[in-house]
Amino acid sequence: MGGAVSSLKTVATLCLLALSTSAYAQSKFVQSHSAMGTIYSIELYANDAASADHAMQDAFDEIDRVDDLLSNYKPSSELSRINREAPLTPVTTDPETFAFLQRSMDWSRASEGAFDITVGPLLRAWGFFFHAGHVPDESRLATERERVGWQHVMLDARVRSVAFADHREMELDPGSIGKGFAVDRVVTLLRADGVMAALISAGGSTVYALGAPPGTDGWPVIVRDPRDGRGKAETLLLKDTSLSTGACTEKYFIQNGHRYCHIFNPKTGRPMEDVLQSSVIDPSATDSDALSTVVFVMEPKAAKRLLADRPQTEFLVLRASGACDSLHWRGAICRK
Amino acid sequence: MDRRLFLQGLSASAVAAGVLPVTAAAAEAQERSEADVAKQIAASKDSSPVRIGIIGPGSRGKELVRNLLRVPGVKIAAAADVYEPRFAQLNELCGYEVAAHKDFRALIDRKDLDAIVVATPLGLHATQVLPALKSGRHVYGEKTMAYTVEEARAIREASGSKALYQVGHQYRYSPWIRAAIARVQAGEIGDVTHIAGYWFRNNDWRRPVPADDPGGKLEHLINWRLYNQWSLGLIAELGSHHMDIANWIFGANPTAAMGSGSICRYHDGRETDDNVQVVLSYPQGKRFIFTSTTDNAKMGDQLWVYGSKGSLNLTLEDATFFYEPAKVKRVATGVEKGVTTSASYQAGGEMPYRGPGKPVELKDPEDATTIAIRAFIHCVRTGDRPIADAEVGYGSALCVVQADKARRERREVEVPA
Ligand SMILES: NC(=O)c1ccc[n+]([C@@H]2O[C@H](COP(=O)([O-])OP(=O)(O)OC[C@H]3O[C@@H](n4cnc5c(N)ncnc54)[C@H](O)[C@@H]3O)[C@@H](O)[C@H]2O)c1
Repeated sequence: MGGAVSSLKTVATLCLLALSTSAYAQSKFVQSHSAMGTIYSIELYANDAASADHAMQDAFDEIDRVDDLLSNYKPSSELSRINREAPLTPVTTDPETFAFLQRSMDWSRASEGAFDITVGPLLRAWGFFFHAGHVPDESRLATERERVGWQHVMLDARVRSVAFADHREMELDPGSIGKGFAVDRVVTLLRADGVMAALISAGGSTVYALGAPPGTDGWPVIVRDPRDGRGKAETLLLKDTSLSTGACTEKYFIQNGHRYCHIFNPKTGRPMEDVLQSSVIDPSATDSDALSTVVFVMEPKAAKRLLADRPQTEFLVLRASGACDSLHWRGAICRK
Repeated sequence: MDRRLFLQGLSASAVAAGVLPVTAAAAEAQERSEADVAKQIAASKDSSPVRIGIIGPGSRGKELVRNLLRVPGVKIAAAADVYEPRFAQLNELCGYEVAAHKDFRALIDRKDLDAIVVATPLGLHATQVLPALKSGRHVYGEKTMAYTVEEARAIREASGSKALYQVGHQYRYSPWIRAAIARVQAGEIGDVTHIAGYWFRNNDWRRPVPADDPGGKLEHLINWRLYNQWSLGLIAELGSHHMDIANWIFGANPTAAMGSGSICRYHDGRETDDNVQVVLSYPQGKRFIFTSTTDNAKMGDQLWVYGSKGSLNLTLEDATFFYEPAKVKRVATGVEKGVTTSASYQAGGEMPYRGPGKPVELKDPEDATTIAIRAFIHCVRTGDRPIADAEVGYGSALCVVQADKARRERREVEVPA
């Protein structure tokens, strides 16, 4: 008897505890922070301002740490050190940086070069880094092409070293995967801090929905439709997954009436034509970030083949021609 | 020449005379010192195995490990910590399993280590560094070298060519700080008499502690900075780097210290002050002042080096020179042209200079900790004496410990030799 009463009490106490620590009692906090050339913003639910503040501080410190690791603007970053020394000699790096490079090369291999973090010199030749876009002449392109190509990046997992084949002066550029990588690190950290609901956004191009706002099924994320005259958008609900978007709607230049996009086809060495926007949903933000470029560049059929056996990976590609390609996509945009 | 002065690029006579070492001897010493540095920091061609044991793989310890793993041939062979979760974190970081010890003595007893890294709270440094050195192993010891002057002396004595000691004052390896200080020592901003260090932050300096913490044991272990048992507060944790740089620039250790501090903002049970000021007196009336607050981040972390001809601003990322307005100039005499009167008053002369400075231009400055760690492994392999050696560690420990004593006793205290 006594035992039953006390266990009832325990249940009641547990319920109370559950109530007081559940997301229902929590408030929403937001903060943003600029790093890696973009603005990271976090919305999260927490019991009070002090714990929200600590979680935010931890998260932004982590983003700065990843920036110190992977920035190709900061000469003191690990990636800059690799870019400087790998043309000369194999560079031993730490396991985290090495894993990042391995992941990048894995996607290059799988996508047969559609995704390639060595494409920087071409973008530079086209003037994309300094808002000075122009079509470069063929001889410049030919020279720069020599310095591009993921298959020239030699990774030796045994000793964690990176070298550029034949002493090529290559440039590893984290732009198409680094933000996703930083977001994943933040997600791991916030979970460890006990955060149950948060939306982490790297300038809107990669977002991760951790849990869901209290009493809801997911964080609403809006995907725009940039195709002419449609002006429509769809709202998706995301929970414990990420969404990354690549688009030509913001970074591009127009020369002789033609619009040139900053997303390149490494094979042709030229900006992509026709594709306006790609979006990828994947439980890993690193992967969705990389894949948003993969599906942007690859032929739709090949992209579908590549991702067919990843049921948790969804993609959507919208083209100026009006075409709409998708795989596993939870939204209805292609059906409209 | 005294080894330490040599490494600081200063001639003993220049220091004794109280003049800045613009002499040929000093310039030569500086050059030799740069050659020494260059050798230590060069990318390593040697990838012979070096086995490291780490005591205290906490937040700094893990950063050191990350950098150690960037040096070819280095393996983290063992770790000691009293906080269990550290071992899993370390394994994840290394990508392999590191032998784990609950007691640091078991780590020191291992026979398979070439060097030991100590990155525990300050109050524990000497108890771990000393037996590690005595076991014949080279040691990378985090700053501040020790919690008391006696302990710092003991470490200085225990270290030598058989058991090298390098202190975690990585700014000694920072390319822009080295380049800037070399120019100061060559006389670029004249005679330096005054250095100011600001380290401002706007947060409570706390780290999250698991909710289940009977007796507040984890609170004391994780937030050790806030408690006197192991911590000398902001003076040690932040000020020690600045004090080391002041010692370096002045080419001497201070002779006296004043200190003050208060708990001004965070009345949360902490024991160390959240608002601290220090004045260190150097030979020939030179001064270093340090001020640190934890509820305003305007100044960030920066040093100002003031000389008769200009100033130098040092930060975590760069160095910038500023020059004093030109002084009187002798001009040719001739027929006076007359001057026009007006009613203007110019505050200009007393206004702070708000224009741009001249940044120290460096090709590809590398991260200071990455360099310091690579240099340490070079010394482990070659037996070369570290640039940030026990003398450097001892100098800044003297500043920290005595400044803290002055803060507690509310009086000026002597800094022993
Ligand atoms: N050079 C720098 O720029 C720099 C930067 C940060 C910290 N530090 C220094 O590094 C040291 C550690 O600071 P932190 O921020 O990493 O602290 P931390 O609390 O994160 O790490 C200290 C570690 O030591 C462990 N520890 C405590 N007692 C121990 C014992 N008896 N045996 C073994 N392990 C024990 C703790 O559990 C913890 O894992 C301090 O001296 C600090 O001043 C230096």
